[in-house]
Amino acid sequence: MFPRPIQKSSPVAQWVYTIALPVALILWLFPLLGVALTSLRPASDLAQGNYFGMPSGIAWENYVFIFTKTPIGKYMVNSLWVTIPTVIGAVSLSLMTGFALAVYGFRANILVFFMFVAGNFVPFQILMVPVRDMTLNLGMYNTWYGLALFHIAFQTGFCTLFMRNFIKALPFELIEAARVEGVSEWRIFWYIVLPLMRPAIAALSVLVFTFIWNDFFWATVLTQGVDSQPITAGLSSLNGQWIAQWHLVSAGSILAALPPVAMFFLMQKHFIAGLTLGAVK
Amino acid sequence: MTGVTLEGVVKRFGDVQVIHGVNLTVEDGEFCVFVGPSGCGKSTLLRMIAGLEETSSGSIRIGARDVTYIDPSERGVAMVFQTYALYPHMTVAENMGFGLKMTGHPRAEIDRKVAEAARILKLEPLLDRKPKALSGGQRQRVAIGRAIVRGPEVFLFDEPLSNLDAELRVEMRVEIARLHREIGATMIYVTHDQVEAMTLADKIVVLRAGRIEQVGKPLDLYNNPDNRFVAGFIGSPAMNFVAGVAEAGSVATRGLGQVATSVALPAKGAEVTVGLRPQHLKIGPGDTHRVELTEALGGVSYVHLSAPSGEKLIVERHDQVSLEPGAMVGLSFDVRDAMLFDKDGLRLR
Repeated sequence: MFPRPIQKSSPVAQWVYTIALPVALILWLFPLLGVALTSLRPASDLAQGNYFGMPSGIAWENYVFIFTKTPIGKYMVNSLWVTIPTVIGAVSLSLMTGFALAVYGFRANILVFFMFVAGNFVPFQILMVPVRDMTLNLGMYNTWYGLALFHIAFQTGFCTLFMRNFIKALPFELIEAARVEGVSEWRIFWYIVLPLMRPAIAALSVLVFTFIWNDFFWATVLTQGVDSQPITAGLSSLNGQWIAQWHLVSAGSILAALPPVAMFFLMQKHFIAGLTLGAVK
Repeated sequence: MTGVTLEGVVKRFGDVQVIHGVNLTVEDGEFCVFVGPSGCGKSTLLRMIAGLEETSSGSIRIGARDVTYIDPSERGVAMVFQTYALYPHMTVAENMGFGLKMTGHPRAEIDRKVAEAARILKLEPLLDRKPKALSGGQRQRVAIGRAIVRGPEVFLFDEPLSNLDAELRVEMRVEIARLHREIGATMIYVTHDQVEAMTLADKIVVLRAGRIEQVGKPLDLYNNPDNRFVAGFIGSPAMNFVAGVAEAGSVATRGLGQVATSVALPAKGAEVTVGLRPQHLKIGPGDTHRVELTEALGGVSYVHLSAPSGEKLIVERHDQVSLEPGAMVGLSFDVRDAMLFDKDGLRLR
């Protein structure tokens, strides 16, 4: 059996394991714990230089403050306006491109697929100026849909790679069986392929949601101001506003981290293995 | 109901030609079986009839319609796949009704046809199950049910029983034979198992390397094969072959001695192969052949012998005599049972 249960390994290995696991966990979680702790520190602690020690008190009012006195609510809404259309757009587009690339053996298939993949190799930083100019010319600068549109464009390459490979792994006889039964290609896509893609759609949605929600680069390049900036860019402007008030920025960061986590738990029930069990053999 | 006609059908994959101009007529209501060894093109030919593979040249007709360049969905065929290809996210009933639902049939009609197919295949208690909760035989029946429901003109079976265990295979074979009697549709069935071919077929098509070797009724192929390949492929255990040389009115072999014959032999000294079925050989007194192994199956025993020439022979016996390996025996046979083939494998008559 693999992996072997730790109880069955040598005493030395068990001993190393019991030490190494907590160490790794603490290392991994340390920054997050630090931010969480800071978000609950009273401002006076930071002023006195108590950055890493025990807080002198629990300051829930930090959270109340950022909601009442800063536009963090608006930033969150902006983020959702960018993220949700991007997830829907990128996933649905890549389902279709993936289906076409996986199912049809047309002449330029491999070339088109390669271009989708190759797009991922372009470092997007070098596109900063042209993309900004393009959005300006299109009149989409500083709008949620401008940002969403460019995110969709950039994400579809990776998503297509993911979807194409997933569809390729489905038993092809299912599609052939449906074809012989007289089912049109669109209906095969809708009634046969889509239901079997549920785990892939869920996984990709979570992934893309997290990518876009956490995106800072394009958010700062393509938007400015409270009206359109998403939370990542918004947080940094909070930072500028209260130069020494890290406790508020921390509280904002913790809040900003919640939606991707929520998304994960929302989609978790769709991560099912063996959906195609019983299809063949 | 309609038959299927193939005319000069050719299939190329790039530069490689795998089907070399096949001509074949499958009559209306006939059960036609394609047999041949792996890679002989029988599945490809079936998939061409289904429309899942493009036909490189030649024409395919179903009834009077030329379907060579028509999409699979419009050919009016139903296909049962080797791997069943059931839709895993649908119940048995949904699997069977899916095709009709997609082609816009009313709900009541679908339900009626599904119920009818379920009755024929004894699937009624399973209608609400998903494929993963079914056994191999049940899945196969659902796959067949899905074909029946649409009431197609032609049924295509692509090695439908090869994933089942031996016992179930026999059971399903009987079931498919019954189905053919009940429905009476044209059926084309691909298998590499010649027992399936012999038991199910009205007409067997023996294929080798993309060419038809012989077409005929099962027993005609067995009794009167046109060439050495068909003779060796049809019949189990396979026909014994012994190499020999033509002489005047007889064939000289090292494996079986002198074989007298009345057929027209090629010129003296030409290579001739003598073929004898295992049941036509009789073990008798003598010391020409060595016993290698005896397989006693109860009702029938197979004795494996090696001839003086080193050739292997199998003798079928209907008793339970056990011969020690290494024992020397003699062989006799009726020369009228011997079939002769020339050096190209063609039958000499």
